[in-house]
Order: sequence, then structure tokens, then C-alpha cells
Amino acid sequence: MIPTLTTKRLTLRGPAPRDWPGYCAFITSDRARYAGGVSTTPQAWRAFCIVLAHWPLRGFGMWAVTRTGDDTCLGFVGHWFPEGWAEREVGWILWPEAEGRGIGREAALAARRQAYGVLGWDTAVSYIHPANRRSRALAERLGAGIDTGARHNFDSPDVLVYRHPGPEGAA
Amino acid sequence: MIPTLTTDRLTLRAPRLEDFDAYAAFYADPDATRFIGGPRDTRAAWRSFAADTGHWHLKGFGWWIVAAAGRVLGSIGLHHPPSQPDLELGWLLFPAAQGQGYATEAASAARAWGRAELRPARLVSYIDAGNAASIRLAERLGAVREAARAAHDPDCFVYRHPGAP
Repeated sequence: MIPTLTTKRLTLRGPAPRDWPGYCAFITSDRARYAGGVSTTPQAWRAFCIVLAHWPLRGFGMWAVTRTGDDTCLGFVGHWFPEGWAEREVGWILWPEAEGRGIGREAALAARRQAYGVLGWDTAVSYIHPANRRSRALAERLGAGIDTGARHNFDSPDVLVYRHPGPEGAA
Repeated sequence: MIPTLTTDRLTLRAPRLEDFDAYAAFYADPDATRFIGGPRDTRAAWRSFAADTGHWHLKGFGWWIVAAAGRVLGSIGLHHPPSQPDLELGWLLFPAAQGQGYATEAASAARAWGRAELRPARLVSYIDAGNAASIRLAERLGAVREAARAAHDPDCFVYRHPGAP
């Protein structure tokens, strides 16, 4: 039911229970401070359940990013639209060991193509904390730019809305 | 993958997005939800609804939506987050559906499924000490209050369900 996407190096598959240890390690570490905040293990477990439920509830969601031929999850990249989000998001979280190799970009491009193709979106945003320099750099490498006119519903007014190129302009 | 259970009057089935409005309306009601972590705003209700749904995909068991004649009456489930020592049978029934034996009927079906499929050594319900309606339901189900309160939540009694079906 969850489609698998492949790119040059990567296989994006549905998130699965075996991805929990890596997710828990990430989301309970300081690395998560810009991705919804650092969680306790019970909070992380609940958040992981929500990641899994997003697919059956919305019909789209986050994929586990793996290197083709190695099932190890390197992070979650995909589509995110929980209650309270102003717009549908292309989002990413990568475990530290996967950073700096273009994996986030490669996976996010595949996710964005899926959004504009199969899912028929006409626009997409990424919500990024202003201090999250690594994530902002990725958004910019994807051709997204800050949309100062877009509203969001987050409690923190500082959250930036990066608007992706539309279906015509996107790679 | 999520099984559907049927009883005389009820269907227990997988949660769906269209159930969420009724669920969120329930959690917005401070009186109805004071003993189960409410009230919750829409966003918090979504996290709870989605987490209960995702529980199936993580553990192979979780929460059903209880429906009768197409109407959503509440949610009931088998629940075992890492913060809780034991497998739990939990329930919430919307106020309009209370007082008609629906909760007993749904809980019995969910418990029977849980016993058959999961074969737990212990099955409990954690219930806030002030939640008289829920305590009555646990007692109707034959559950017995243990001496110690819940380790993860001292507001809660631990009701242990009997071992035999």
C-alpha cells in the first residue's frame, strides 16, 4: 500500500517497526531540537506511532530512507500534514551518520516528484526553524525560498516557510 | 491488517480519517475527558488519534473505533507503550453513547480478541481514582483492583482483568 521510491542510490520504503531504534536515538537527542523538540522516550514512541499512522490516515507520509541494497534506515523523508499544519509539507530528518552526503537532497527530490506527480499537489512547503542552518541549506539546494507571505499555525512565530518551486519549475 | 470485530450491536474497526471530527469534539469536552488527559485542542487530539492508530502498525494491536449503524460511539483498544509495565485494555465512550451497555459489549469483544491473539500474562486497565463510570465498567468486566496504584501514573488504580475468558 505504501509505494516504494528509488533514486540513483536510495530506496525510500514505508516506515516500519524496525526503524524505531534509530528514530528514538535521533528524536531523544539534541539533534531533534529543531524537529519538534527533544523528546523523552515515551514521547518519541508516541511520535513514531504517529509517523506510522500518517500513511493510513492521510494516504501519504514519510518514507524510511535507505541505501539500495542495505535496509538500514538513515532518516525519514516525505510528506507531512498533521492536524494544525497550514499546508502540506515536504519534510526530512536525517540521522547524523547520514548527513553531508547529499542523501537528504536525493530523497527530498524523489518525495517532491511524488507530491507533484502521483499526489497531484500544486505547491509544497517546508517548515524550518531559523537556526536550523543545515536544513535551510538543503531547502535552498532544492530551489525553495522563504515565503514571507505564507501563514503557519506554529506557536513559535519564527518558523520559516520555505516554498518549493511548483510542479513546472521543480526538478 | 487491523481486524474488524462485530458484536450484537457494535462494530469495532480500524480508525479512519473521517472519524476524527467526532473524536476531536469529544476531546474538546472538559467534563467528558477530565480523567483521560483532556481537554485537548484539535492538534493534541490528532496526535492522540494518530498515535492510537499507529499503535497497530508498531505492535500489531491497538485501538479500534466503536461504531453502531454508521455512528461513531468511541474508541477502545489494547495498548502497551513503553511507559506502562502491563498490557492495557483502554476505552473511551462518547457521552451520547453512555449508559446503554455499549462499553461493556465493546470491551468484552476487545478483551476476548486480546486474550486469544496476544495471550498476555497480565491484562490491566489503568483508571483514574475519580473516574467512577470507568471503575464501574472495570468491575462489570470482572476486573479486580490491585493494592498498588499505577507506577507510571499515581492518579490511577490498576484493575487486573481475570485470566480466563
